[in-house]
Amino acid sequence: MTSEQFDLTPAPQTVGLFRAFAALGGLTVLLGLFLAPQRMWPDLLFGSYALLCLGLAGLFFVALQYVSGASWSVALRRVPEAMAATLPVGAAGLAVILLVKPSLWPWLGMSWQAAEGYLGFKRVWLSQGFFLARSAVYLAVWLAFALAIVRTSRQQDASGAPELTRRNIRLSTAFVIIFSLTFCLASSDWIMSLEPKWYSTIFGVYNFAGLFTSGLAAMALLVVWLQRTGALKHSVTRDHLQDLGTLILAFSTFWAYIWFSQYMLIWYANLPEETIYFIRRAHGYWKTLFLLNFIINWVVPFLALLPRGNKRNPRVLVTISIVVLLGRALDLYLMILPPFSGAQPVFGIWEAGVLLGTVGLFALVVLRALRQAPLVPIGDPFLPESLHYHA
Amino acid sequence: MSRRVFLGIFGNEEDILAATRAAREAGYKISDVYTPHAVHGLDAALGLRRSRLPWICFLAGLTGAVLKVWFEFWTTMVDWPVNVGGKPWNSLPAFVPVTFEVMVLSAGVTTLFAFLVVARLWPGHKPALPQPGITDDRFVLALEEADAAFDAARVRRLLEKFHVVEVEEHLQEEAA
Repeated sequence: MTSEQFDLTPAPQTVGLFRAFAALGGLTVLLGLFLAPQRMWPDLLFGSYALLCLGLAGLFFVALQYVSGASWSVALRRVPEAMAATLPVGAAGLAVILLVKPSLWPWLGMSWQAAEGYLGFKRVWLSQGFFLARSAVYLAVWLAFALAIVRTSRQQDASGAPELTRRNIRLSTAFVIIFSLTFCLASSDWIMSLEPKWYSTIFGVYNFAGLFTSGLAAMALLVVWLQRTGALKHSVTRDHLQDLGTLILAFSTFWAYIWFSQYMLIWYANLPEETIYFIRRAHGYWKTLFLLNFIINWVVPFLALLPRGNKRNPRVLVTISIVVLLGRALDLYLMILPPFSGAQPVFGIWEAGVLLGTVGLFALVVLRALRQAPLVPIGDPFLPESLHYHA
Repeated sequence: MSRRVFLGIFGNEEDILAATRAAREAGYKISDVYTPHAVHGLDAALGLRRSRLPWICFLAGLTGAVLKVWFEFWTTMVDWPVNVGGKPWNSLPAFVPVTFEVMVLSAGVTTLFAFLVVARLWPGHKPALPQPGITDDRFVLALEEADAAFDAARVRRLLEKFHVVEVEEHLQEEAA
């Protein structure tokens, strides 16, 4: 096997389309920051956080494969590795918000008197310097791991040294542990503290569930696309697709489990400072979105992916992956936007532009990363096992 | 009534896979294949239908969940209404955890017993092995003499193409 066999040359129309998306998104952001800043800043947080999460999902998937010693996924590992390339882009967007518009978080700059009712711990935790320092640490640690793990994997293409697999297993073990702690904190910092009086101890797990389900859906889309266009034609089979489908089914159900756990405890206890979060989201048109969120993130994928044949069918898998990604966008929208848009949900040119831009940027960055290395990790000692995998 | 069974004994899984495929394509009636471990692709080589157990699992889970929701509505609204924290009688969110557990229990237990019945694994059932120890270390293809056109010599020739180690003829009591 030579590396030339696995080169990717995407059709110029495909690249052009995503360039247009990204350009449109960039234009919307620039215009929005001047014409409608009160809507653009939350939208920008939405886009940056979405990109960041997709990158983290890719990296976490790679780490999970190394830690669990999985061989089935080796043939398609370059796809999640390429997804990790969106991490710096998301991080840059977030850094801009943190540095230019920290007042997006309503507790920032609040006087001690106004902060009445906040527990002592929250006063210390939610102080600007500490908040920015924490954010910097999260982003730096994730970027460092992404760089190290992807580089080690690519080094193996040339040498095929099993020592590199061992090094990545060690790196991945550290990453999985550090990621689980830092991501819980980061999602609470960046998203939960938008409504600083409200809190939910399961919020980090809930965010992780959405992150990983949508990351798997994005992976499935890319894998089917690469297989269709010929690049992964001979290395990825329906058995690989079935496993991706099974993972989407499992993590969508995990998301539903956590979603309900968060909802039920708050509903049962019925404490005003906790229920405020759901009261805001379960009235008026928000209620429609609130219920739709559960349907497209769990009911649809669950029923559609139960039969074995559907998990192996690229068309079904692509459709469900798109549904799951739309569900992820809606889930993030419901997490981030309500405190800004008030009694009724808003969706206009600014939100649509940011959504398109996020999709375009994601596709462009992933395509570029996919072309930087052979599409199949040709030096991995487990590759033959993966190529002959039977689900 | 008894039936005649030919046992082709093979030394490895590639041979038994190829022999099974060839025997099925040649139109022989395969009564079973015995292997010491699960062999990938054997289901396809045997031309087996997909198991219908997933459907039993799904329907049992659905039935369990529906019955449980109905039961909880009935107990909390009709038979013995209890005011819990001022919540409405028919508080669906409170029913979900128990419904989920009952669904899993009902689906799991039903599937287990359905499998035991389908695989004839109830207590006291005698194993229907053509030879004791057949699953220890050999790969065995059991062909049944289905009609008069069955020719023992041709069967032997077919199996020999796949390096059969031994061919045995065996009279098996028809399972009632």
